[in-house]
Amino acid sequence: MTATAAPAERAVADDRSDRPAWWLVFRQELEELWVGGKALYLLILFGILISITAFLLATNSELSLTPPRTMIIVMIHTSMTFGLFIGLVIASESISGERERATLEPLLLAPADHRQIVFGKYLAALSPWPIAYLYTIPYVITLAQGDLALWPALAWGAILGTLTAIAFTGIGMLVSLWSTSSRTSLFVGLLIYIVAQLPPQLPGEFLATTAGAVVQAIDPLEAARQFLQQGFIDVKIVDELWPLLYAPIAVTIGILGVLFLYAAPRLGLEGGPTRSRRGAGSEA
Amino acid sequence: MHPADGVADRASSRPILVASDIYRSYGTRRALRALSFTLASGRVLGFLGPNGAGKTTAIRVLTTVLEPTSGRFEVDGIGSEEPIRIRRRIGVLPEGLGFPRHTSGAEYLTYYGQLFGRRQADARQVSRELLEMVGMSARGDSLIETYSHGMRQRLGIARALVNDPRVVFLDEPTLGLDPRGQQELLEMIRTIAQERDAGVVLSSHLLSEIEGICDDVVIMNQGQIVAKGSVTDVLGQAASDGTTERTVRVRVPVDQVDAAAARIAAMDGATVTDLDPRGWVSVQVGSSAASATDADRNRVLETLIASGIPILGFEVAGGRLQDVFLQLTAEAIA
Repeated sequence: MTATAAPAERAVADDRSDRPAWWLVFRQELEELWVGGKALYLLILFGILISITAFLLATNSELSLTPPRTMIIVMIHTSMTFGLFIGLVIASESISGERERATLEPLLLAPADHRQIVFGKYLAALSPWPIAYLYTIPYVITLAQGDLALWPALAWGAILGTLTAIAFTGIGMLVSLWSTSSRTSLFVGLLIYIVAQLPPQLPGEFLATTAGAVVQAIDPLEAARQFLQQGFIDVKIVDELWPLLYAPIAVTIGILGVLFLYAAPRLGLEGGPTRSRRGAGSEA
Repeated sequence: MHPADGVADRASSRPILVASDIYRSYGTRRALRALSFTLASGRVLGFLGPNGAGKTTAIRVLTTVLEPTSGRFEVDGIGSEEPIRIRRRIGVLPEGLGFPRHTSGAEYLTYYGQLFGRRQADARQVSRELLEMVGMSARGDSLIETYSHGMRQRLGIARALVNDPRVVFLDEPTLGLDPRGQQELLEMIRTIAQERDAGVVLSSHLLSEIEGICDDVVIMNQGQIVAKGSVTDVLGQAASDGTTERTVRVRVPVDQVDAAAARIAAMDGATVTDLDPRGWVSVQVGSSAASATDADRNRVLETLIASGIPILGFEVAGGRLQDVFLQLTAEAIA
């Protein structure tokens, strides 16, 4: 060890960084996710599932059991379902995993607003979704067999998929913020994922009730499925479909509000929603 | 007297960390009670205490990771109600710090340099300087997952210095290091305090290392301070009751322990109190604290030398921080 190098300058009392904290955290997280391989492993799993789905649809197509337009919608919905799973898993582990690996404390010691730290991690957890969707497009084109609904469906799939990814990644982040162990947060995340798949499986009698309608309406994944189904199979016009998205958009905004206005400022070494706001606010 | 008066009152340099009557509870359990002390710049303060004494909680409160239940502290004149401004002025090596696996040491330091408000080019420059300082410039571009434990600790210390802090908190920095690694790290800590004019708070279980490099010491037990002051003051404070200063320990060859004990037992005013199989003979000299003089202690040595028994070691009980620590923490438990 050599003698101490003379400090380049005295304490960094003012923020002279040329990058905001959320960008720095986002970039670092991206590196850990993609160079570290975790996102790639999940995408490989995604690719296998999408390939199996496409193969089954293509086989059915050869038997003329499924029309191309239905296959387009099924593929896009499958892509959304598995794609949001990647975001949910990564987000569920992002904070609780750092707690377990003892890498969270130095981040908390940085003079950054905790909202920026959470935002950077949130964006990184969202990053696999566009890649997953792009990966799906060649399969959809192949199965479309020239159907005119291909490009509009892909465009709406991108919009609706992004909405569901934003919502479920936000839920994953909340679970992670409030969990001490990544095992717990992954389990809770998985449970939420399964619950989100339930509405179409619920009995028709229940879905016909007000409670059933609410359950369908607030689930962004179910709303997206209904939107694509009614828009491209039942061929309804967009004006009729917008109301389907009101509730999921409100739910998504609510999730983001809780995440960034309530939970993120309370980010701490231990999980739980009742921590005080040590990391929020400005320096003034 | 100001509640925070104490540790560095006599230091010529200005106070850089002032803790005043800090309490911290976890539910109904009080982890910290009335924590008050002062640290001056350029000095190293040892934070001592048995497991569960509240050292790590104290460091987490003082580094803004935990909020005090009551009380406040100031770092470089900034109050604890402004945690983000305080974080700009402190550097911390937490206990058991983890590292990202797929990042090099240089990238890691640059990242934190930027998080602490440096521009990218400046952060890179500081990263290189710090890597050189901790003796890791040759491995700066290697992935952290390839580093040994000692290298990670050095990197952790370098990270704690990226913002050129006013106060550096090091929680068990030598844990798990080999003796050479410990020694090198301690030298570096001393250098940080002196050359960077920073106050250093060093928490450790290794009393010898605290004694060797610390100017001041705070001994904690069950969440409260049981002794504080300069190392000399604390040693004197514990010895003032005279219970330990009367005991000397002499180390002789193992096969001559019995002979040495017999010679000492034959002396006036000296009593053998303990025999250690490794060759240590404990002797109580004088009939009271006041009557135990240097001459009494020297007579023990003279007797052994005159008997031809080689002396391999000699120490006065109560003259070491370890004795004080054991005495004070035992008293507090009792």
